[in-house]
Amino acid sequence: MSALQPFKLYTWPTPNGKKVTGFLEELKLEYPEIDYEAEKIDISKDIQKEPWFIKLNPNGRIPVLVDANRNDFVVFETAAILLYLQQHYDKKNVFGFDPATEPNDYSEALQWIFFAHGGVGPMQGQANHFNKAAPEKIPYAINRYVNETKRLYGVLEIRLKERDFLAGPGRGKFSIADINVLPWVRAYPYTSIENIDEFPNLKAWVARNEARPGVAKGVA
Amino acid sequence: MSHGKHFTLYSHGTGPNGWKIASFLNELGLSYETIYLDLFGARAGEHKKPEFLKLNPNGRIPVLIDHKNNDLVIWESGAILLYLVDKYDDEKKYFGINDKDKSEVLQWLFFQVSGQGPAFGQAAWFNYYHPDKLPSAVERYKTEIKRILGVLEIVLSKQEWLAAGKFTIADLSFVPWNDASIVRETADFEKDFPATYKWHQKLFQIPGIKAAFAERERVIAV
Repeated sequence: MSALQPFKLYTWPTPNGKKVTGFLEELKLEYPEIDYEAEKIDISKDIQKEPWFIKLNPNGRIPVLVDANRNDFVVFETAAILLYLQQHYDKKNVFGFDPATEPNDYSEALQWIFFAHGGVGPMQGQANHFNKAAPEKIPYAINRYVNETKRLYGVLEIRLKERDFLAGPGRGKFSIADINVLPWVRAYPYTSIENIDEFPNLKAWVARNEARPGVAKGVA
Repeated sequence: MSHGKHFTLYSHGTGPNGWKIASFLNELGLSYETIYLDLFGARAGEHKKPEFLKLNPNGRIPVLIDHKNNDLVIWESGAILLYLVDKYDDEKKYFGINDKDKSEVLQWLFFQVSGQGPAFGQAAWFNYYHPDKLPSAVERYKTEIKRILGVLEIVLSKQEWLAAGKFTIADLSFVPWNDASIVRETADFEKDFPATYKWHQKLFQIPGIKAAFAERERVIAV
């Protein structure tokens, strides 16, 4: 067991921040030498737009990971952070797949990661914006993005029929594909979606993920 | 409940009112198991579901269950604090003993639950959560926050504690809402209400309150 320095995670308790803390808490349980230090970046005060933060991530958004074990290498974009952590620190491939020996599972995991990263996050994010933050209420915009969010949940519902997790052989295993989208799906009440009863497989998958101690701690 | 602790406390991470109870249970040295309800995920809306409404028809936290008293269920944080004083603070360390002191504790406690809590709560609601942006509503409640802190300032400029000349549940009850982010958005607490600020900071050093807020940091941490 080699001594690892803790990762530095600049973050805030948004769905995106929770993807990474959720995964880090799972990693900690599996690999006790792993630890991280979360530094809160208050995005309501636009700290993430300050020059020092822009130097880390020109996009000016959280979360951002800095890895002292690899010369303070900086990673931004949550899916990239999850893939980075899995590649370097999940040597047993507990939470991922070997691209050489499990290429199809690896590809499927990537497909669902890209699906969530390009679809669920941005579309549900727009729904949240037009529901809560926009200076005026625009019914067309609210409907467009809430409906698209529900459509995306429906896609996950199809995948989770006869599956416990998004990627992996058979019924699948918990992987970065799941944690990449769980914090968004579980935040459906904030998106003014009353319940996800019409997506029973998705609903069960949320509960199944939240029952994992690492996930529970990291996404609470 | 099979956890073997004296109480079960239904609470919430970022909500203020459960922390009053955690603080006081800590001060009294009583054991409790906390169940944190959630707004999101598999536990979303739990507080409005039938199993919880059976405990508290008002569907809110905190709710306390006393397993050494026939699983008695108590809701309303003020009522919970008074129950705990009544049953578990024999010396009334945290309450008044003579008529004047008892009355003082009660009046400040009632001012907290009916004045500070709801007004600060409305300010937070209209500032952070209301679907429509209503500047006049935000202004109304922020003005009320300042007014209430002003009331505390008048009294705390002249005396160390709100009631009975000592730390009581009256002081304790004000802590969580005075710590809320909406206060930081409304006023410069330290500069505008210095005596109240000093008292507020002193309250965080009281062991039971300190421990509760350390737990709160852990629970709401990223």
